Amino acid sequence: MSQPAVFILGGAQTDFARNWSKENKHIAALMREAVLGGLEAAAIEAGEVQTAHVGNFAAELYAHQGHLGAFVLEADPALSGIPTSRHEAACASGSIAILAASAEIEAGRYDLAMVVGVEQMKTVDAAVGGDYLGTAAWYEREARGIEFPFPKLFGRLGDEYDKRYGLKDEHLAHIAAVNYSNARRNPLAQTRNWYMSESHASRQSRYNAIIGGRIKASDCSQVTDGAVAIFLASQNYAREYARRRNIDLDRLPRILGWGHRTAPVEFEAKVAESRDNPYVLPHTRQAILDAFKRANVSLQQISAIETHDCFTTSEYMAIDHFGITRPGESWKAVEEGVIELGGAMPINPSGGLIGAGHPVGATGVRQVLDAFRQVTATAGDYQVEEAAKVATLNIGGSGTTSCAFVIGR
Amino acid sequence: MKNEESTANPPRGGFLSTPERPATGSERVVILGANGVMGTGAAELFAAGGFHVVMLARDRDKAAHALAEVQSLARSEAIAEQIELGSYEQDLPRSVAAAAIVFEALAEDPELKRAFFAQVDRYRAPDSIVATVSSGLSIAEMAQGRSESFRRHFLGVHLFNPPHVIAGTEVIPHAGTDPAVTAKMAALLGKRLGRRLIVAADCPAFAGNRIAFKTLNEVAQLVPEHGVEFLDYLIGPQTGRAMAPLATVDLVGWDVHQAIVDNVYTRTRDEAHPLFRLPDYMKEGIREGRLGDKTPPAGGFYRRGKQGVEVLDAASGRYRPAQVPGPIAFVERMKALHRVGRYRESMEVLKTAPGAQADLARRVVLGYVSYALNRVGEAAQSSTDIDTIMSYGFNWAPPGVLVDLMGAGDTVEMLKRYGLQVPAILERSGGRKLYAGSVLDFGRTFVG
Repeated sequence: MSQPAVFILGGAQTDFARNWSKENKHIAALMREAVLGGLEAAAIEAGEVQTAHVGNFAAELYAHQGHLGAFVLEADPALSGIPTSRHEAACASGSIAILAASAEIEAGRYDLAMVVGVEQMKTVDAAVGGDYLGTAAWYEREARGIEFPFPKLFGRLGDEYDKRYGLKDEHLAHIAAVNYSNARRNPLAQTRNWYMSESHASRQSRYNAIIGGRIKASDCSQVTDGAVAIFLASQNYAREYARRRNIDLDRLPRILGWGHRTAPVEFEAKVAESRDNPYVLPHTRQAILDAFKRANVSLQQISAIETHDCFTTSEYMAIDHFGITRPGESWKAVEEGVIELGGAMPINPSGGLIGAGHPVGATGVRQVLDAFRQVTATAGDYQVEEAAKVATLNIGGSGTTSCAFVIGR
Repeated sequence: MKNEESTANPPRGGFLSTPERPATGSERVVILGANGVMGTGAAELFAAGGFHVVMLARDRDKAAHALAEVQSLARSEAIAEQIELGSYEQDLPRSVAAAAIVFEALAEDPELKRAFFAQVDRYRAPDSIVATVSSGLSIAEMAQGRSESFRRHFLGVHLFNPPHVIAGTEVIPHAGTDPAVTAKMAALLGKRLGRRLIVAADCPAFAGNRIAFKTLNEVAQLVPEHGVEFLDYLIGPQTGRAMAPLATVDLVGWDVHQAIVDNVYTRTRDEAHPLFRLPDYMKEGIREGRLGDKTPPAGGFYRRGKQGVEVLDAASGRYRPAQVPGPIAFVERMKALHRVGRYRESMEVLKTAPGAQADLARRVVLGYVSYALNRVGEAAQSSTDIDTIMSYGFNWAPPGVLVDLMGAGDTVEMLKRYGLQVPAILERSGGRKLYAGSVLDFGRTFVG
């Protein structure tokens, strides 16, 4: 590969269990804490940052605030004057911000970029929030006037699997239970102290209501306030950074590969397009293959995956789309314990969107930060042993925008 | 994935049977007093952590009622699959004998607890741990008269209410507790139950309550002079606490407040001794059944009246409609700074604001810093432990953070100005950062 290397120097996330509205905080505070925490964790001076990219889905709706790029500067006076921008691709906003920042590094424009993913969602009640999230679909056709449109759309993803290959809800319940179980090990996960069991997730009950279609509450990711900041660097900066910390440059993780694809925005159109394809979401599959190809890796070289489990059905889809099983056979990996921490291919050791939480615009950045933690053996109690290369998959809309990364050395 | 074969032949077992999450039934916890607030809270915690829980109460009906509460806390009916119910009379010997952990959560009555411990001593397995949930009783005294094995396996666990929300926890060994037992319990509470814990000394009220109730009672003592709304506004969330102090006392309950401050007042004699004396108007109120939020008609500092919120007039014992206090410029400035995450700047405002009102706010905040850090080596081992318990047990700004934000030098100067003791750890700090955590850890304690 002739492409210049893009290094990841780490960063930090806020505690996803916090409710920033309850703290009476503006989104500026959320971003500020993540930036200051990221600078502290990566041991980088604010004055060294040359460019900043913010991933955010809908602050205009949730917080009545646009122009989030500029809010990066609120963290430290030394950031004054740096170029900033904000990126939006629904739940994939964070990954798009990473792509933009890494492109600038590859182009040689800057040596050190900061990427901030942020969403403040607890400003509104569940129904209003569900409606806002509907704008990630084709709102007028798929969401307007529908209560909780997204659970219904991802319920249909499950239905499509059911139609093509068969799908048992018990496998979805197991996916939920694994994510919650992993989250108990993650001190920043939103659900770290919540009760969950496979039995609870298997049944509709007073405390586990149907939200839409076949999707129960236990199948859903969380409504989360959260922000994440990470730092991407050129080889020039990374070499100096490694020297300063007295470590070998080779020990710093890189973005080894990336994939970025877009499918038709309407779910119906996606399904129609993939009718004769073994993969239900072929563009998502392609984004993963692109990332693997650019990284020059095969699945066998991947130690773990952080995937987009906005619902259990999206993780079910990710299992075969990553190639862990043949198309339609994701259930095998679920039954055989492959996806569990300690399994052959742990998925979401962090707890994922279901367990760790899903601050929409922050999720893609959180996934890459968790991948960084895994490959630098700093993931604490949710560390995957000897993780060398970790893949991420971040999805916007109903499988519309797909971004994948391979992080490692 | 290491190789192709690993997919074909993956490790079996799955979610509920990994070594870290043992299958239901393999680890048993018995909860005595399972129908109390801490009993149900503890049952939910242990079950959520994967344990098999036996909930014992005076009779099965009480235990069954408590189970419904546990299901409500867990927001799951299925949690019942990990829970057995029983009564002391019928089930105590058998369940205690089979338990790895006996978790006593009876009322804070030393005689009652001791009577149960005699039974536990008789039936328990030799290597089982016996934990008492207490918010400040002497652990050593409760162990008196018990067998050597019991004493070695006995310790206190102080959960904060409600435990499924508040992660801060104190583990309190007594002099005879086997250090390995303390370590085992601490690891279990931290890793399995998600507790943010410290090991506290077996002294009255332990560390968290000792420090917090000193400030809460100090503010309660100021009520006759300054009034309820004014104090909760002046020393409100913007001074580094999730909830205003008098509202906190109402939530805790005046009777619980009394039990804690009386215990400390009777059994300690430190630099803040007079501040633990329960104000007369509170004694009077408690006699009349005024216990705070748990006695809605009688009320506490606040009461919900027909025309909205009313507040107590300490002199007359009557209620009057609550008035919106302030605005006071420096208080509003602090709140606005917290709203945008500028905690250091907010503390600068607190440090420099002019006037008697700012003096009062500073005196209380600095009194907290002084008293908390003076407990290092007495109630807790380190300032980090004190920071942890104040932050995760009370949602109060850790004293170490307040010192770092205000500057150690300025803090010492202010402490002297207000006639407060300068803690040894501050004199020794040499300007080093006191707080060991990240900048991401304490923002939640500064409410906008």
